[in-house]
Amino acid sequence: MTSRFPGRALRGAVAAAATIALGAGLVGCGDNSGSSKDGGSQGKDTVTVAFRTPNWILPISAPGFTQGENAIFGQALYRSLYQYRLDGTAQYNIDPERSMAEPPQVSDDGRTLTITLKDNSWSDGTPITTRDIQFWYDLVTANKDKWASYRAGGFPDNVDEWSIKDEKTFSITTTEVYNTAWFVDNQLNRITPLPQHAWDKDSATADVSDLASSPEGAKKVFDFLIAASKDPKTYDSNELWQVTSGAWKLEKYVPNGEVTLAAEPNYSGTDKPKLSKVVLRPFTSDDAEFNVLRAGDIDYGYVPAANMSQTSYLESKGYTVSPWYGWSITYLQLNYNNPKSGVLFEQPYLRQSLQMLIDQPTISKVIWSDTAAPTCGPVPAKPGTNTDTAGCVYSFDPAKAKELLESHGWKVTPDGQTTCQSPGTGPNQCGEGIAAGTPLEFTVTSQTGFAATTKMFAEIKSQMAKLGIQLTIKEVPDSVAVTPTCEPTEASCSWDMSFFGSQGSWYYPAFASGERLFATDAPVNLGSYSNPEADKLIEATQFAGDESALTAYNDFLAKDLPVLWMPNPVYQVSAYRSGLQGVEPQDPMNLMYFQDWSWK
Amino acid sequence: MSTLSEAVGPAEPTDTPPRGLWRQGLTVFCENRLALVGLGLFVLLAGVSFLGPLVYQTDQVHTDLASVHLAPGEQGHLLGTDGVGYDQLGRLMLGGQTSIIVGLAAGVLATIVGTLLGAIAGFFGGWVDAAVMRVVDAMMSIPSLFLFMLLAAIVTPSAPMLILIIGAFAWLGPARLVRGEALTLRSREYVQAMRGMGGTGGRAVRRHIIPNAIGTVIVNATFQVADAILYVAYLSFLGLGIPPPAANWGGMLSDGLADTYSGHWWLLYPPGIAIILIVLAFNFIGDGLRDAFEVRLRRR
Repeated sequence: MTSRFPGRALRGAVAAAATIALGAGLVGCGDNSGSSKDGGSQGKDTVTVAFRTPNWILPISAPGFTQGENAIFGQALYRSLYQYRLDGTAQYNIDPERSMAEPPQVSDDGRTLTITLKDNSWSDGTPITTRDIQFWYDLVTANKDKWASYRAGGFPDNVDEWSIKDEKTFSITTTEVYNTAWFVDNQLNRITPLPQHAWDKDSATADVSDLASSPEGAKKVFDFLIAASKDPKTYDSNELWQVTSGAWKLEKYVPNGEVTLAAEPNYSGTDKPKLSKVVLRPFTSDDAEFNVLRAGDIDYGYVPAANMSQTSYLESKGYTVSPWYGWSITYLQLNYNNPKSGVLFEQPYLRQSLQMLIDQPTISKVIWSDTAAPTCGPVPAKPGTNTDTAGCVYSFDPAKAKELLESHGWKVTPDGQTTCQSPGTGPNQCGEGIAAGTPLEFTVTSQTGFAATTKMFAEIKSQMAKLGIQLTIKEVPDSVAVTPTCEPTEASCSWDMSFFGSQGSWYYPAFASGERLFATDAPVNLGSYSNPEADKLIEATQFAGDESALTAYNDFLAKDLPVLWMPNPVYQVSAYRSGLQGVEPQDPMNLMYFQDWSWK
Repeated sequence: MSTLSEAVGPAEPTDTPPRGLWRQGLTVFCENRLALVGLGLFVLLAGVSFLGPLVYQTDQVHTDLASVHLAPGEQGHLLGTDGVGYDQLGRLMLGGQTSIIVGLAAGVLATIVGTLLGAIAGFFGGWVDAAVMRVVDAMMSIPSLFLFMLLAAIVTPSAPMLILIIGAFAWLGPARLVRGEALTLRSREYVQAMRGMGGTGGRAVRRHIIPNAIGTVIVNATFQVADAILYVAYLSFLGLGIPPPAANWGGMLSDGLADTYSGHWWLLYPPGIAIILIVLAFNFIGDGLRDAFEVRLRRR
């Protein structure tokens, strides 16, 4: 008798045996060392970086191509008008050294911003002028529906007048008097000068003209540039991409493979590259990357959360390990439009009880190995500063959470099923729309592939079970995709809670206002949270002239809990050779400035 | 494919084999030392998993972040604790229950469905056979692990759901095997005689085809169980298993691998070894049963 089954089963057993044998070997070699400990690369002028292959080169964002690696790659070749830093030393957070223009001058009525360009030139020697700014403006205004950064009512809809004064000066008059900090940080951050003298045409063979100055022409030019950007295999050969403004030029590009950047000899910025080449090397998985990092074959990589215990080993091999804090917040999204659980989430006392069952400091310390920090509200704490919930309105307090539930008519059954015992809208009752016997049971849609996230929800589930609140954890590859904004009548509205914050839920631009997150009908308000008071405060952040509006908005939402605040993980834990200088500080807004890097 | 019946001549037209045959089969099974080792391993693992918690009681519901990654022996945890403070030995017992229950249930489900469909297809032939076997061929052309992963990603994994998912695709093998047996058995004189006397096709399948293919079915069932246990392990290893606080050995092994470099060996070895032992146990038992049902081997 022959059967495929015994062979397969035995092979499976052998595979399992091989797995633990491999593990045994690796466990056994956990403390070995022996390679160079200097961490340097004397004589080297090249750096190899673990980096996903970028797939977009045009410095105008397009839907589906907004990944972080594209932004870093784009900035290396094409500088934005303004660069930002969050150390609190600069006006409007503008980085004065890296930016291509002086900070804007604001008119007395607050509506007009006049911007003066610094002396800069393209890689072919042509000066960068307001003509290049106008070219960018013509393209995005004529094609805003194809621009990933466009939001109705935002830039350029909120521009009343766009005026070029001369080759170095232009002005923007807004439709209303906005908070200048908000406008500079969250609107002007999109402007990127484009080489009009090389790109203003609608085909590779056409001559450069003023085609984009008309809306119809701008559409043709835009389509031509988009098509070229969607053809990665020609990135290193297409003449379009040879004219750059950044510190680097593209020397070699392999689709889905390695990318080599070479220092641009004609770079006109003050932050000249110190290395001659940067090699961006992609990996198929975290494990593959970590194995190569461990072997010392790359100069800059990252440590997956599951391998944080290897920090000392990497340090012994000459690497510096450093968390990369993001200008971000992390939260558990609640679906207020869910026909069943929405009425529960509408009750502030219930949201407060749930929040008080999340032990953010301990989860950050134990499960995230100190690579996460508590989130207390919608405005991020200064990166790397908050380590406990001292500033949070609701800290971990199961006893108080229980008391809160019982005082609102719930029969709390520890390790059982807590149910509503006193329905009604009175102060001691469950609340509107909650029937007697309603159980507190929710499903969390979380992410696969993150061991720390799985453990974190095991802990939260355990804490909630102690008060009879039953959580079911469902892990999916893309939790955002399956928990969309929805109406109660839609089948897709059956989700209760959604988590997508294993590397931070939301990264802000320099000004951390919440118009895209927590305003009624905001594009990323997945749970359809709506509070008129919050809307007012969010709107105020765009118009108020000082930080008090942002503080008021933060304080209100920190207390109102539109979502459940969760430990905010770092973007990644970087590991780089100790001989590599200039990596720090790592930009909280997730950009990398390779021109600052050098070898000791 | 088995040709057992052809090798030994026509089987007796009987509903139940003579008691002597069972006793003889048991003797042959007991002569196979590896089969006895397999049986012993299974009894041991099942005993530890299901009876162990009565003796060694641990909290496998609530996490304890103050007691994570304790080494074996620390604070009374014989096999240490894992990354959220669960006692590792208690977790092995809980994981064993899930792995064995899901493995056995999925294996039995696949065997029952496969045997019924295979017997019907083989006995009736014609369009019934063509339809069933084309479905089998089509489903076999897709790697089953991918199908499991797809389904497990769509639905929320739970023990009953895993049993259904694995059982829904694992019946293909038994169906092919039993169909082959049925093709041979349907032309036997006793089956023809029964049909000649007015017996229905259903009765022929129920009373003659399946009982006479029972050896193949039982042997195959043991391998199905081993396969199902491995599938549960695969799915859990890929993060598609039953979420905490439930546990199974595959998921524990996956978690343990994340700690490979940390020196927390107690999170890696025990679940891995348990998977190897349970799969080997069922393979040994299957080999022993094959010997027991293989009439030719009884003469050695």
